[in-house]
Amino acid sequence: MTIGTDKPAPVQPAPPPSRGARRHGREGTKREVGLLSSVGHIFLVVWAALVILPLLWTFLASFKNNEEIFGNAWSLPGALRFENWARAWEEAHVGQYFLNSVFVVGVSTFGTMLLGSMAAYVLARYKFFGNRAIYYLFVSGLAFPVFLALVPLFFVVRNLGLFNTHTGLILVYISYSLPFTVFFLAAFFKTLPNSVAEAAMIDGCSHTRLFFRVMMPMAKPGLISITIFNIIGQWNQYILPLAIIPGTDVEDKWVLTQGIANINTSAGFNADWGGLFAALTMAILPMIIIYAIFQRQIQSGLTAGAVK
Amino acid sequence: MRHGKYPFVIGFLLAPVTLYVVFVIAPYAQAFYMAATNWRGLSPGQFVGFENFERLFQDDVFWKALQHHGVLLLALPLLTIAIALFLAFMLNVGGGAKQGVMVGVRGSKFYRVVFFLPQVLAVAILGVLFQAVYRADESGLINGLLGGLGMEPLGFLINPDIALWSIIGVLVWQAVGFYVVLFSAGMASIPKDIYEAAMLDGASRVGLFFRVTIPLLWDTLQVAWVYLGIMAFDAFAIVWTLSVDQGGPDGSTTVLGAEIYRNAFVFSKYGYASAMGVALFFLTLTFAALSLRVSRRESVEM
Amino acid sequence: MSATPDNTSDLTRRTVLRRAATVGLLATPAAGLLSACVGSGGDEPQEQAEGEKTAENPLGVDPKAPLEIVIFNGGYGEKYATDVHQPLYKTKFPEAEIKHSATQEIATTLQPRFAGGNPPDFVNNSGTKFMDFGALVQDGQMQDLTELFDAPSVDDPAKKVRDTLIAGTVEQGVYNGKPFVLFYVFTVYGLWYSDKLFKEKGWAPPKTWAEFTALLDTIKAAGITPYSYAGKNAPYYQYLVILSTAAKIGGPDVLKNIDNLQDGAWTAEPVKQAAELWAEIGAKYMDKSHEGLIHTEVQLQQNQGKVAFYPSGSWLEAEQTQSTPDGFNYAVMPIPSATSADKLPGTAVYAAPGEGYFVAAKGKNPRGGMEYMRQMLSKAGTKGFIELNKSLTAVAGSSDGIPLTPGLTSASAALSASAQDAFNYRFPDWYKELDTELRTATNALMFGRENATQFVERMQKKADAIKSDSSITKFSR
Repeated sequence: MTIGTDKPAPVQPAPPPSRGARRHGREGTKREVGLLSSVGHIFLVVWAALVILPLLWTFLASFKNNEEIFGNAWSLPGALRFENWARAWEEAHVGQYFLNSVFVVGVSTFGTMLLGSMAAYVLARYKFFGNRAIYYLFVSGLAFPVFLALVPLFFVVRNLGLFNTHTGLILVYISYSLPFTVFFLAAFFKTLPNSVAEAAMIDGCSHTRLFFRVMMPMAKPGLISITIFNIIGQWNQYILPLAIIPGTDVEDKWVLTQGIANINTSAGFNADWGGLFAALTMAILPMIIIYAIFQRQIQSGLTAGAVK
Repeated sequence: MRHGKYPFVIGFLLAPVTLYVVFVIAPYAQAFYMAATNWRGLSPGQFVGFENFERLFQDDVFWKALQHHGVLLLALPLLTIAIALFLAFMLNVGGGAKQGVMVGVRGSKFYRVVFFLPQVLAVAILGVLFQAVYRADESGLINGLLGGLGMEPLGFLINPDIALWSIIGVLVWQAVGFYVVLFSAGMASIPKDIYEAAMLDGASRVGLFFRVTIPLLWDTLQVAWVYLGIMAFDAFAIVWTLSVDQGGPDGSTTVLGAEIYRNAFVFSKYGYASAMGVALFFLTLTFAALSLRVSRRESVEM
Repeated sequence: MSATPDNTSDLTRRTVLRRAATVGLLATPAAGLLSACVGSGGDEPQEQAEGEKTAENPLGVDPKAPLEIVIFNGGYGEKYATDVHQPLYKTKFPEAEIKHSATQEIATTLQPRFAGGNPPDFVNNSGTKFMDFGALVQDGQMQDLTELFDAPSVDDPAKKVRDTLIAGTVEQGVYNGKPFVLFYVFTVYGLWYSDKLFKEKGWAPPKTWAEFTALLDTIKAAGITPYSYAGKNAPYYQYLVILSTAAKIGGPDVLKNIDNLQDGAWTAEPVKQAAELWAEIGAKYMDKSHEGLIHTEVQLQQNQGKVAFYPSGSWLEAEQTQSTPDGFNYAVMPIPSATSADKLPGTAVYAAPGEGYFVAAKGKNPRGGMEYMRQMLSKAGTKGFIELNKSLTAVAGSSDGIPLTPGLTSASAALSASAQDAFNYRFPDWYKELDTELRTATNALMFGRENATQFVERMQKKADAIKSDSSITKFSR
């Protein structure tokens, strides 16, 4: 905690997961552990294979031609057909879609966290008329099936002149992430100790200052985990971009999920399966790499808040 | 709290509430109204009161979809939690005693990274990926393997008896990693002394799992159940991209989301689709309210 | 229901929303207030471009008005629009700016724009996600094309556009008495096979049902899947075939009754008999796993010589250009006669103008849209289309003098053999729910989950439900 509070944060960041729960074992449990471990180990290997194999297959399929893709699934590509990749890159604009997704999700996650934590904080820690009503207004949003709102939403976006723009998509992403964000952050802010806030107020700290300088840092674990939730959720969003940036004339603004779905339908017409899997691999690989780099932060951040 | 509370409160709420009302509440309110019209997407519909709902209750497909949500609501959390719990246990305490210290199995770190991987893949990607996994002849990943073992290929997506389970399989496949991480953290935060005390009482490792780990993870398990339950009411994207005939064969994988989408964007029956949406809304709300009520019990004193 | 939107309300949607936002809304969704925002067409009446009518410009197009075209990016691609038709329009009106876009998701992309009163001028409404024509008609969204069909044709001013078309083309696009849709591509349906494969094996296209099943047995014995269609996304190829058999047994009125939602149209004996015959084909000669495949996957298997017969329309050859091996030689045959007492001859084929185009009635430039259609129907327009897409158009004689591919030659031969006996149905365009139910039922029938009786009863039930649903506009022919 950057500011000088003498209280420890109520939620302890999870220890590095690999450390596990350590304790001293005893001789008597050894055989039992051995059995458990071997059964369990097999299961671990199987599950890891279940995760890796489809991804590996996609990678290999990106070098195959149509005959090989629809031949035996377990055969290797006859040649490294890099032309599949070239086609996918040129025709499928995967790079552009990827950058769009990064931009939109980056900005909207930031916006979501800022606005969401402001609302959650006020709702959690201040008594005022209408507090409960606003809180429940937000929470009820958790139960709304998104596509029900699609057509009316279109009107709203269009009338504001935001149709086919990233701004429109970002604002919509923020709005639709608020219920979840407010719900969990409100619960989180409630758990923060009053004493610190009171002390700060006595020191003449303003409400705004208190929030940004004291409460936000204290809520860091929760903020991180909700941020990750939002990134994953918004990254995977498919229906909202389809409603807000549907135009094929604004293809350069599409996000990755739209691009992939579009490539999938065009493969239905052009029968370019190798190209489809090359495009798919291009969409998957950066995610895997980014994830591999940040996995420690992602995992510990994810759990710190949620376990509370 | 003094120092001009209201300007501050209003200042903080203004932007989020405005955005939320404009982009979320207003469209949904319109959708609620639409549910009482026979609007077909273009010119104004006529007000028909509860006619859509009356028709809804006689609609076989609607009940079928509800039934599927029932299956999802049970199977998805049960399978995901059971698998994730077991994997998490293996990764944290399954390695047994090494030099007097309990650790996860060898390679825990690697597994943890791998298990979480599906979480970062978009559903649009999963749809394409699992078409290849489930293909009903030897070009499918699983059937290629079965064929190699001399077994008959299985129609994962085309046999109405197993199609829904194939869909659930994908959902579980994607979700498990997240809960492994969640439970791992929960297990790691269980104080050592509790284990030690239980061990002194002579508890076996399996006993530890059921008598210490599970009760102390109870809160986390409930959080998991609520998340997965809400997921069970959605499942639209994967059903729409993966299943035969979008919800088939023969409606055996359809979910409310798919029927809403079909009625709205294929049949242009926005009124009827909205009525389904309203029904889904109340279902999800009921589930959320119930589970929050149940989970609002005191957590285990540590 | 009135065709023009109610413009009397001076509440614009924006003010409604603003007001809605201040009231908080959720508690009392005031019906009157909101009805103004539930799809109330255009807020302001659309300014529509119009120019002077001359012999050169019979439809009175404003030469400077921009024109927005949306093309379905499917089997025909978009090249024919950008490289053939749009240059024709541009040559005629050099000052007009053409805004072109293409999509596979027509309904998803355009439905909101139509609802919002901001439609593109010209739409190729096609693909699996096309907009419901019934809803468009009901709503007055489509331009009445009578003026176009009565205008002089591009190549021969003495001849009206209407008279250059193959008989039945205008009628195909008529809804409730007015022509709204131009179906441009003339499609012949039947069972497609590789002429090369059949010649090599010495197989002759069968004419009767007995010959058909005998050949299927031979093919099966040769280790080839005799018959297949793609269950995952193309069961309508198969229901077309089932209903073709029904039409052959009982005459084209069988299909007319189905279109008109007549009581008992589905449970009629010819339909049931056809379902029985095809269920048997499904049980004996199909590969069960194909229910999970999409059309390109099955077509790929046919290209590889693993599937013999495949039901489809004459777009197939063009769609498969890149995938078919050299010398594959697509050929099409009519569905074999079911019985010796069939009301239609064995040569009769399902043939219809397809691929719908319409002009938005509430667009900015409906006259430009109609002129664009006139250009599409010109010699230069059809020639370019045929050459690019290897498909027949609805303009009579438009393929004369153009060298045709083997598949297309075979299709046009089948069409002329069928002569006056060509038949078709309209219900999939009219009632999408019936189409959806039929797709599901067809898979259930062909893959052995339901029998013919269950099939026809299920369809009858759906047809009855549609008939009694007051919110669905009915059509008849």
